Amino acid sequence: MKASFKQRRARIGALTLALAALFGFAVIRLVLLVAIYGPRLNSLARHEYSGGTELAAVRGSIVDRNGEPLALSVETQSVYARPRRVLESSTPAERSKLAAILTMPPISLESKLSKDAPFVWLERRISPDKAQAAEALGIDGIGTISEYKRFYPESNLAASVVGLAGMDGQGLSGLELQYDKLARGEAVELSFYRDALGHPIFDSPLALKAPAPGAQLELTIDSSIQSLAETELAAEVVQSGAKRGSAIVLDPFTGEVMAMANVSAGGADVHDRLHNPAVEDAFEPGSTMKGILGSIALADHAITLDRQFYCEDGHFTIGRHTIHDHSRHGWLDLGGIIEVSSNIGAAKIALTLGSERYHEGLRAFGIGSRTGIDLPGEAAGLLSKPSGWKEIDLANHGFGQGVAVTPIQLAVAYAAIANGGNIIRPYVVRAAYEPEGRAILTHTPQVMRRAIAPDIAHEMNLLLRNVVMSDGGTAAKARVDGFIVAGKTGTAQMVNPEDGTYYQNRHVSSFVGFLPADDPRLLILVVLYDVGHEHFGGLIAAPVFSEIAQGAVRDLNIIAPNQPYDTAGVIPMPDFGKDSAGGNSDAKSAAAASAEVDDYLPVLTGSTLTRATPNFAGLSLRRAMELARVSRVNVDVHGGGYVVAQEPGAGAPLNHLTVKLTLAPIVADSGAGAATATQSGVVPASYFSGGGGLAGRK
Amino acid sequence: MAGGDRRFILHFDWTLFILVLALAGIGLVSVISASYAGAHRTLDPLVIRQLIWIAAGTVVMLIAVFVDYRSLQAYAYPFYVVVIGLLIAVMIAGHATGGSRRWINLGVFHLEPSELAKLAVVLVMVRYLREDPPKGGWGLRHLIIPFILLGIPAALVLKQPDLGTGLILVLITITLVFVSGLNLRTMLVLAMAAMLAAPLSWHYLKPYQRQRLVSFINPQADPLGSGYHIIQSEIAIGAGGPFGKGFLKGTQARLNFLPEQSTDFIFAVFAEEFGLAGALLLLTLYASVIARGAWIARHARDRFGALLAVGLTAIVFWQVAVNIGMATGMLPVVGITLPLVSYGGSSLIAMMAAMGILISINTRRYLF
Repeated sequence: MKASFKQRRARIGALTLALAALFGFAVIRLVLLVAIYGPRLNSLARHEYSGGTELAAVRGSIVDRNGEPLALSVETQSVYARPRRVLESSTPAERSKLAAILTMPPISLESKLSKDAPFVWLERRISPDKAQAAEALGIDGIGTISEYKRFYPESNLAASVVGLAGMDGQGLSGLELQYDKLARGEAVELSFYRDALGHPIFDSPLALKAPAPGAQLELTIDSSIQSLAETELAAEVVQSGAKRGSAIVLDPFTGEVMAMANVSAGGADVHDRLHNPAVEDAFEPGSTMKGILGSIALADHAITLDRQFYCEDGHFTIGRHTIHDHSRHGWLDLGGIIEVSSNIGAAKIALTLGSERYHEGLRAFGIGSRTGIDLPGEAAGLLSKPSGWKEIDLANHGFGQGVAVTPIQLAVAYAAIANGGNIIRPYVVRAAYEPEGRAILTHTPQVMRRAIAPDIAHEMNLLLRNVVMSDGGTAAKARVDGFIVAGKTGTAQMVNPEDGTYYQNRHVSSFVGFLPADDPRLLILVVLYDVGHEHFGGLIAAPVFSEIAQGAVRDLNIIAPNQPYDTAGVIPMPDFGKDSAGGNSDAKSAAAASAEVDDYLPVLTGSTLTRATPNFAGLSLRRAMELARVSRVNVDVHGGGYVVAQEPGAGAPLNHLTVKLTLAPIVADSGAGAATATQSGVVPASYFSGGGGLAGRK
Repeated sequence: MAGGDRRFILHFDWTLFILVLALAGIGLVSVISASYAGAHRTLDPLVIRQLIWIAAGTVVMLIAVFVDYRSLQAYAYPFYVVVIGLLIAVMIAGHATGGSRRWINLGVFHLEPSELAKLAVVLVMVRYLREDPPKGGWGLRHLIIPFILLGIPAALVLKQPDLGTGLILVLITITLVFVSGLNLRTMLVLAMAAMLAAPLSWHYLKPYQRQRLVSFINPQADPLGSGYHIIQSEIAIGAGGPFGKGFLKGTQARLNFLPEQSTDFIFAVFAEEFGLAGALLLLTLYASVIARGAWIARHARDRFGALLAVGLTAIVFWQVAVNIGMATGMLPVVGITLPLVSYGGSSLIAMMAAMGILISINTRRYLF
C-alpha cells in the first residue's frame, strides 16, 4: 500500500509535469499566432469579411461670381449585375433581351457575367429609361444605381481653369483637382460585411453611409468677361498667326481673377482642360519688364525721374555684344525710355542699378517665385542668381531677356504698380459652400508683401500712361474710350529650347495694362505666343487688351471719369490738403464708429461700389488698417492710439491713392495697448502692408 | 456525513467551484458572441439554453458534492451498461447531423451519450483498477479486461463516427492505467505496438477523416475544403491580436467564417474578441483546474478516490489539449468540445457532474 501510494503520487507528479509542458506548447503557439502571424491573419480576415464597391458622391458644382454654372453633375443610372445570381436565375433568352436593352452584344454580356466577382458593372451612366427597362426584366441579381456624370454646360468656357473630373468623380486637373477634396464630397461607400457565403450583412458597422454631396465652388471668374477674353484672344490668334495666346483679367487691389483665358490656334478641344499655360508656362517677357525695372530703380533711388540716359543712337556695345533699339534715340529720361521702349535705356538703368539690387527688386515683385494662386501646377518662372550675371546679362535682364515669367506672375507684378505697391495673392475661388449653404471656405484679399512704396507706384503709373495715351507711345491701340489707360508692351524673341539660342522670327508679344489709371479696377494681361516678325505687342496684344477692357468696363459698370488726358503727360499729384472736411471727431465716438465699420464691410466687397473715402474717425490702428484694406485705400499713419483726423475727410470722392490719418492716444480710460502705441511714436505707413499677418482675416 | 456538516462547509473546495463557474461564465460570453447576429436581434435561443444548462449543471455539481464518491463504486458497472445501451440506441434511433449520428432526441433535450461515455469509462476503469497492482505493476495480461471495457464504448463512438471522443476515451484509459501502476516494460511494448499500428489505422479512417489529416499537414492544400477549419480558426485567433477586437466585435465567428463556432471552435471566438490576453487567461483557468485535480489526486485518502480524481482531471486535460491544439492548428481537426465553455447540454452537465465528484473527493479527505 505504501509503495503503491508513493509510486502513484510520483506518477501523478510526472504526468502533471508532462501536461504542463503540453500547455506550454499551446501558449507558445498562441503567442506565435498573434505576434508573428497576427498582422497577416488580420488582413486575411478583412479581406474575407469586407466586400463592396465605392460610388462617387454628387460632385459639387462650380459657378462663376454671378452664379452661372461652369461645371455640374447630372444624375444618370448605372446597371450592375451579381453574376452568379444572374446566371442562376435567368435563361439565355432573358439575358439576350437584357443585352438588347443595354445595346451591347450578347457575347460581351455573357463574358461580363462569367467573371468570378460578386459585383460587375454592365453599363454605366446611361439614361434612366434604359436602366429602368433593364430592371423591369425582373432578373434576380440585376440592379441599378444612381451615379453622377460631370457636365460642363458652358462647353469650353474657362476650361483650363475649371479643369476636368474623371469618370469616377475624381479631379484630374484645374480647379477640379485643386479643390478635389471639397468638390468630391464623401463617396457613397457601398461597403458591407459579408458572411462566409458572400451575402452582404447590411446592419454591420461598415454598412451604408449616407452620401455627402461635394461643396459648390464659387469663382471670382466673371463668365461674360471670360467669354469676351476667350473670343477676342481667339480672333487675334487667328489673325496674327500666333500658335496660342493667354489673357488674364485681375482686380489689382484684391487679386480676384475675373478671367483667365488660354486659346490655341487649333481651336478648342478636351486637352485644354488639362493644361493652364497662364499659370503653368513661363516665357521671356521682354519689354514689359521695363516698367518693373523702372519701379525698382526709382524705389532704390538709383535714378531720378529727371535723370537722362544716352541711348547711343540705337546701337550699344557691351563687350562682344550689341544691344539694338527698334528706332534711334538720343538722350531719354525714364519716362521716355518706357514710352518708346528703349532697350539701350533699360540696359543702362539696369547697369546703374547693379545686379544685386536689381535681383532683389525683382524678387520683391515676385519674379522667380510662385504667386500662390489656387490652381495646380503653378510654375515659378526662371530667375537666375545675380552672382552669375555678367555685365551683358544684367543689361539683358533690364529689358526682360534671360528671365522667364508666367503670365500670372507678370499680371501680379503690374497689379502692384496699379494698387500702390502691394504684391497680392491672386485667387480664382472666392468661396466654397456646403450643400446646406454654409460657407466652408472663403478667400479674402491677401497682401503678400510690399514691392514698392505708394509714391513710386504712382510715379510709374503716370509714366505707364504715356505708353498708351501719348502719341509717341508704343501702345496707342490699347486705348479705351473715355478712360486713361496705363500699360506696357513687350515683344521678345522665343528661346529655342534645344540650344538656348533665340529664334530670329518667332516672338512672344504681350501687353499688360490697367484702367482707370487714376483708380485702377482692372488689370489685363494679353500674351500671344509664337508670332512672326513685326508682330509687336503694341500691334497685336494691345488691341485685344482694348477689346477686353471695353467689354469689362461695361460689364462691371465702371464709370469713365471723363477727365481729359493731358497729352503732355503732366498729371498733377493729387492734392491731399484740399478737402479736409469732417475728420475731427473726438475719441469718444470710437464705439459708434466701429459699429459703423461692421456695417460697412460687406458693402465694400461689391465691385460696383462708387468709391468714397471711408470714415476712419475714432478707430484703433488695427481697425483702421482693416478698413483701409477692405476699402482698398492706402493709409499714411501718424501718431498712435485712435484716429483723430483724416485727410481727405469721410465721404469725399476717393480718387486719391493715400489717406493721411492722424492718431492720438485717448487720455483717460485708455487701455494699455494704446499707451504702448504712443510710446512707439509714428507708425510707418509700410506697417499696413508689412506682410501677410494683417491680411486675410479668415 | 453525520456530524460533519460544519466541517463539510469549512472544507468545501471553493477554489475549484469558483474556477468551474468562471469557465462556465466565459463559455456563456463566448456563446453570446458566437450567436450574435446584430444589435437589433433579441438574445439567441442558444444563449438562453446555455444559461439553463449552466444552472442545471450547477445543481448537478452540488448534488455530486454531497454524494459520497465511494458509493459510486457500486454504481460504476450499472452506469456503464446504461451508457453502452444509449450508445447502441444512438446507432439505431440517433439524430443525424452532418453525416454522423450522435444525439438522441428526448423532446426537450438532445442527449449526447458519448459525453456520458467519458464518465462511464473513467468510473468503470477506476472501479477495476482500484485493487493494488501486483509487484512490478500491471502486466499485459492484467490489461485485457480494461481493454475490453474501453473497446466496447470506443468502438460504438467511432462508429457514429466521433473520432474525437474515441480518442479521448483512449487517452483517459492510458492515463489511468499508467497512474495506477503499469509495468514500465509493458508500457514500452504497448507504445511500440501503437506506433506500428498507426499506419494501419489509416485504412480504417473515413475519407473525410483522412483528408483532415492531410489538411493538418498542409492546410493550404485545400483552403476552402478540408483545410478551411484550421485556416479560419487561425485567422480568427491571429486577427484578435494581443487584446482582441472587443466583446461582440469579432467578425470571423459572426459572419460564419468560423465553423462550429459555438462548440468545437469556441476557443477561436473567444480569442478573436478578447485577444491573446483572454486566451491566456482561459488557459490559466484550465491549468488551475487541472493543477487542482492533480493536487486532489495526490492528497486523496483512498486509492479509489485518487484514481477517480486522476480520471476526471484527465477528461478535462485531454479535451482542452486536443481542442486548443486543433483550434491553433497544432493538431488535426477532430470534434471535441472545450470543457465547460462549449455550447451543449450533455457536455456541460456531464463535465459539471465530474467537477462535483472532484470536489466531493477533496472535501471528504477530512471526513474520515
